[in-house]
Amino acid sequence: MKPLRIALTKGRLEKDTVELFEKIGYDCSAVRNKGRKLILPVGDRIEVVLAKAADVITYVEHGVCDLGVVGKDTIMENGSRFYEVLDLGFGRCRFALAGPKGKDFYEGFSEKTVASKYPNVTRAFFESKAMDVRVIKIEGSVELAPLLGLSDGIVDIVETGSTLRENGLEVKEFVADISARLIVNTASMKLRKREIEELTAQMEKAARPEGGAKP
Amino acid sequence: MKKYNKITPEGTGDLLFEDCMAHRKVEAILSKSFSSRGFQEVVTPGIEFYDVMDPEVSGISPEIMYKTTDRHGRLVVLRPDSTMPIARLTATRLQNLPKPIRLYYTQAVYRSHPGLTGHRDESMETGVELLGASGRRADLEAILTAVESLSKCVPDFRLELGHAGFFRAIASQLPISPEERETIREVIEAKNYAALNSILDDLEPSLPVTAMRRLPRLFGGEEVFAAAESLCVTEEAREMLEYLRSLYQDLAALGLGSRLMVDLSLVQRNDYYTGIVFSAYAENWGDAILMGGRYDNLLANFDAPMPAVGFSISVSALAKLMLKQGRVMPLEAPEVLVFGREGYEMKALLFASELAEKGRTCENSVFSSLRESEEYAVKRGIRKIALVGENISYEDVPSNSPNEAEKGRKDI
Repeated sequence: MKPLRIALTKGRLEKDTVELFEKIGYDCSAVRNKGRKLILPVGDRIEVVLAKAADVITYVEHGVCDLGVVGKDTIMENGSRFYEVLDLGFGRCRFALAGPKGKDFYEGFSEKTVASKYPNVTRAFFESKAMDVRVIKIEGSVELAPLLGLSDGIVDIVETGSTLRENGLEVKEFVADISARLIVNTASMKLRKREIEELTAQMEKAARPEGGAKP
Repeated sequence: MKKYNKITPEGTGDLLFEDCMAHRKVEAILSKSFSSRGFQEVVTPGIEFYDVMDPEVSGISPEIMYKTTDRHGRLVVLRPDSTMPIARLTATRLQNLPKPIRLYYTQAVYRSHPGLTGHRDESMETGVELLGASGRRADLEAILTAVESLSKCVPDFRLELGHAGFFRAIASQLPISPEERETIREVIEAKNYAALNSILDDLEPSLPVTAMRRLPRLFGGEEVFAAAESLCVTEEAREMLEYLRSLYQDLAALGLGSRLMVDLSLVQRNDYYTGIVFSAYAENWGDAILMGGRYDNLLANFDAPMPAVGFSISVSALAKLMLKQGRVMPLEAPEVLVFGREGYEMKALLFASELAEKGRTCENSVFSSLRESEEYAVKRGIRKIALVGENISYEDVPSNSPNEAEKGRKDI
C-alpha cells in the first residue's frame, strides 16, 4: 500500500505537527534527524514532505500530496481547490489592519493606500466594505511602509502586537483569525477515504486541548 | 519591442507525437462509444456571446472567462464550457426534433486560471447530453454510458453519485439568508467542518441544523444511505435518498459495487444541476476525470424548458493517464524508406503509395543519393530501404544501436 503523503509547512507548523504525530504515537525520528532530506517517512503509513507554505497548497491541489498542513493565512491568500477538513488549533494569530497610532485610518476622502504581503486578503477585506483602496505588495517588513510614508496602513499577521507598538503602529481592525489547517486533495479524499479519515480523527483527537473544552 | 513569437501563452501548449496520439486515441474510443449508443456529434463555435454563459445560470464566474468584443462591441467569450452552448443550440435549432435528443461533442474549453499554478487554460473535453428526457431510465443511461466509456480508457476508476437537491432540501429548512446559504454551500464544498460548525453554532439547534452539520461527512460506500436516513428533513429529501439508493443498487448489481461511492454533499461549482450528480476519480490524478448530472431547469433559460442529463470527460486527463499506464503504444518508425534512383522518382512515389495501400508504413526518401538515404534511415530507425530503379529491390539498414541513439539525443 502506498503511504499517505502529507506536505508540512516548514518551520513552526512543521514542528507543531511533528509533536502532534508523536502524541498520536507515530515514530518521527526521521523528521527530527532529517538533514537535508525533503521527503521523510513517519511510521510506515505516512510520508512527510517539507515545503514552503504556498507550495503545500500547490502540491495538494495537484494531488501529488494527499494532505497538507498550512496556515489559514496562506489559504486565504492563495484560494482553495481542496478540502479543508480540520482546524488544528496551533499556529494561532490574526490578520489585522494596522496604522499609525492615534490616527483614524478611515478619516478623510482621499484614496487610502495599504501595504501587505497578502494582497488578495487585503483586496477581499476592503471589497467586503465596498471600499476602493490602493494595494501595494511588500515582501519584507510591512511595518516600514507606513513609517516611510508609502502607505496609510498595512494588513498583516499580528501575534502579540509588539512589533507594531515598537514602531508606533496599532491595530485598527481585526480582519480574520488564523490557525493551522489540515487540507486534503479532493480526489485523494474519495479514493483513500478510510485511511484519511482515520488519520484526521487521530489528529483531531490529539489536537484537542486537555479536558476536551472548545478553544 | 519584445516579440513573443517562439513561445505559447501560459496554460496552453503544443501536443507532439505520443501526447497527440494519446489524445486522438481517447477521442476515437469515446466517440465510438457514444455514437454506438445513438448519440450524434455536434461542434459549437469556439467563440460565443457572453450572454450564453450568463454566470447567474452557468455558475461559471466571469473572472475565468477569456473575453473580447465582436466588431459591434458586443461581449464574446472563448467557450468555457460545452453544456451551455449545446443547451442554446438545442433550444433554438433542434426544437422540432422528436425527444429525446442525444448529442455528443469533443472540443476544447478555455478557462483562465491563476498564473504559474500549472493548470491548463485550454483543455480538451468530450461529453454527452441527453436532452428532453427525465427520470430513472435516462439517469441510468447517462451513468452507464459514462461508466462504459471510461472503462475503455482507464479501467481502474471510482464513480461517485450524489444529488444536487439534497443540500437544497436541508438549506430550505434553515432560517438563513441567500448569502448565508451560499457561504454554507462553499464551506460544505470545501468540507470545511470547522467553519461549518461555527456558522451553524449561531442557529437554534434543530434537525435541519444537525443534518447540515453532518452533510459533508455523508460520503463513502453504501453505509451512507443508512446514516442519512434519520437526517431527511423533508419528504422530498427522503425521496431523493431512496432514488439515489435504488440507482446505487442497480449499478452495484452490474458488478460495479467496489467502484461506487456516494457523496450526499456534492454541491458543485456548476450550480445548474437539479437532480443526480456524478463524478469519477482515478489514481494518480488529483482532480475529477468526469463530471456530470441532471439539469432540468437550464433549457428554460433559453425559452425551451426540457429536462436533461449529461456529463463531460477530461480528454487531457485520460490521455495522460493512458500514457502513464502504458496503454498507448509508442510511435514506431515506418517499416520502409522508399528511394528512387535518378530518373525513377515518380516510380518510387507510386511504389510508396502501393505499399501504403497494402497497409504497410513507408516514407519517401527526398535525398538524391542512396548514401544519404541510408544515413537518414539509420537516424530515423527505419529498418529497410526499397531501391526503386528499373527493378525494385530491398536492402537492410543496420539497426540504430542504443549507443548511437543515445549519442544522437545528446547532440540535441
